[in-house]
Amino acid sequence: MRSFLLKRLPSGLLVLALASFTVFLLLRLIPGDPATTLAGPDASPATVAAIRAQLGLDQPLFGQYLSWLGHLLSGDLGPSYAIGGQVADLIGNGLAATAQLTAGALLLVVLIALPLAVLGATARRRPVAAAVQAVTTAVLAVPPFVTGIVLVLVFAVSLGLLPAGGHESLLDAPDLAVQYLLMPAVCLALPSAAVLARYLKDGIERALAEDYVRTATALGVSRRRIVWQHALPNALPSAVTVLGLQIGQLIAGAVLVERIFAWPGLGQLIEQGVLRRDYPVVQDLLLLVVAVYVAVQLLTDLVYAWLDPRIRWE
Amino acid sequence: MTVLALPLDSRRRPRSRYLAGLRTWRGLTGLALVGVVALAGLLAPLLTDTDPNAQSALALAGPGGQHPFGTDDLGRDLFSRVLHGIGTDLAIILTAVPLGALLGCSAALIAATSRWADLTVQRLFDLLLSFPGLILGLAVTAVLGPGRWPVVIVIALAEIPGFGRQLRAGLLVQREREYALAARVGGASRARVLLRHVVPNAVDPLIVQSAVALSIGVFIEGGLSFLGLGVRPPEPTLGSILSQSVAYLATNPTFAAAPLAATTALVLGFTLIAEALNRGIRR
Repeated sequence: MRSFLLKRLPSGLLVLALASFTVFLLLRLIPGDPATTLAGPDASPATVAAIRAQLGLDQPLFGQYLSWLGHLLSGDLGPSYAIGGQVADLIGNGLAATAQLTAGALLLVVLIALPLAVLGATARRRPVAAAVQAVTTAVLAVPPFVTGIVLVLVFAVSLGLLPAGGHESLLDAPDLAVQYLLMPAVCLALPSAAVLARYLKDGIERALAEDYVRTATALGVSRRRIVWQHALPNALPSAVTVLGLQIGQLIAGAVLVERIFAWPGLGQLIEQGVLRRDYPVVQDLLLLVVAVYVAVQLLTDLVYAWLDPRIRWE
Repeated sequence: MTVLALPLDSRRRPRSRYLAGLRTWRGLTGLALVGVVALAGLLAPLLTDTDPNAQSALALAGPGGQHPFGTDDLGRDLFSRVLHGIGTDLAIILTAVPLGALLGCSAALIAATSRWADLTVQRLFDLLLSFPGLILGLAVTAVLGPGRWPVVIVIALAEIPGFGRQLRAGLLVQREREYALAARVGGASRARVLLRHVVPNAVDPLIVQSAVALSIGVFIEGGLSFLGLGVRPPEPTLGSILSQSVAYLATNPTFAAAPLAATTALVLGFTLIAEALNRGIRR
């Protein structure tokens, strides 16, 4: 286990280091000086210089980078330029909403993909298998903003069952919160669920063609037991890798879904940050996303090795 | 002694496999969907002489009469806007996808030259992939600001790892095959073996990847438009018309209908084509 981590950790950390440097440099490429913008049009050069010194912008570039990393590690993210308030507070406020959305979506991904994959792989009648195939193709193809609009048209406008947008805290009013969460989570989950269902279905089909399945059938083991206890566990490891990659897609998709359903999460925050040129917010959030992505990939590798005993941890 | 003539004509075989793939119901449906939408976009100047950006007092009108798809919130003709929007979308993805393919494939070829190059290129792909989807778009537009070229750049960057990894995997498999070794033994230089023998045998997945990449392109354009980071208004794109329509879903659902249909047809069409090609190749 430890040696496995030692092997995978360096490349993850390298990507993280490269990404942090890229994000840092990217935002330094932008024309214009944040201090001038922050000080306003009528500020005297002395004020601008003072703000520049306060923000550390007069330091050499690499020093700025290191001090940014240092502050990140100590949790002190400093003030935002345009949105107002401390960056740490802004991120803290959005984090809960985004975490609820992505966690809900992740749950739905598994709940939708698993039965769909088993159904598709084991259907004896061709129409059922073809229907599963058609559903996964269509759902996979349609971008979340299209699904989102269709969902709102059907469930909010026509049927009036669910609110078209907004957010309620899961702690204050659980029943209302679930109503608000349902459509955005479905919208976010569908494309990833389709991808996962396809991989899982292929995996189960491959496992069902193996010799041990024939042996088990000959020994009188029921079909259901063969699928759930033999074929599915063998198809899981590679599905976990796909799921890990899809978590990245969920985080990216959340930006869009939050926009459509007026969900007050990190996606809205980063969008505001980009539109209003609030670089500390953008810089910290981009790095947060990359860090989560790298961590999830690492975790995926670990789960894969744990699920598949053939992979040795040496 | 008779010599057996091999029925394999190496020049014609791959092309006929693509065609066989496209001649299935998947391929034909995909081609039809993309064809209709693309044609409508290309012929936009002939099909309508209304200026897509001309505003009028007749805002949010339903479909009918002078405006087949109705008008938007600024009284602009939606028929003209959607057709011209398709044109903009196609122009963007047909610039961005070849650019991404070129960069990705060049990177894969560079990676094939040495171990160090391979490691470097792979980490670069990892770096690009660690900014998933629209996150990359946010990072780029944070620097460049919204606009047409930033959208092209975002799509091209997002496509690089896809093409690059496919080609790299193909090259790794193909250059260990006997024919590649035989060519090497026969005295061909490494570069010649790679470019003349190995690369042509590794392009199959790239053809499929191109169709996938086109659908991703439509997706990214729409996503950036939704975030207000796409092509600058008033120039219409499918994504910008759709994102405009969201505010009026409850009162004017017909506003969303046409851009919704065009986007779905385009993305679904490209996906079906990709799948059809994939099946044709694997057969």
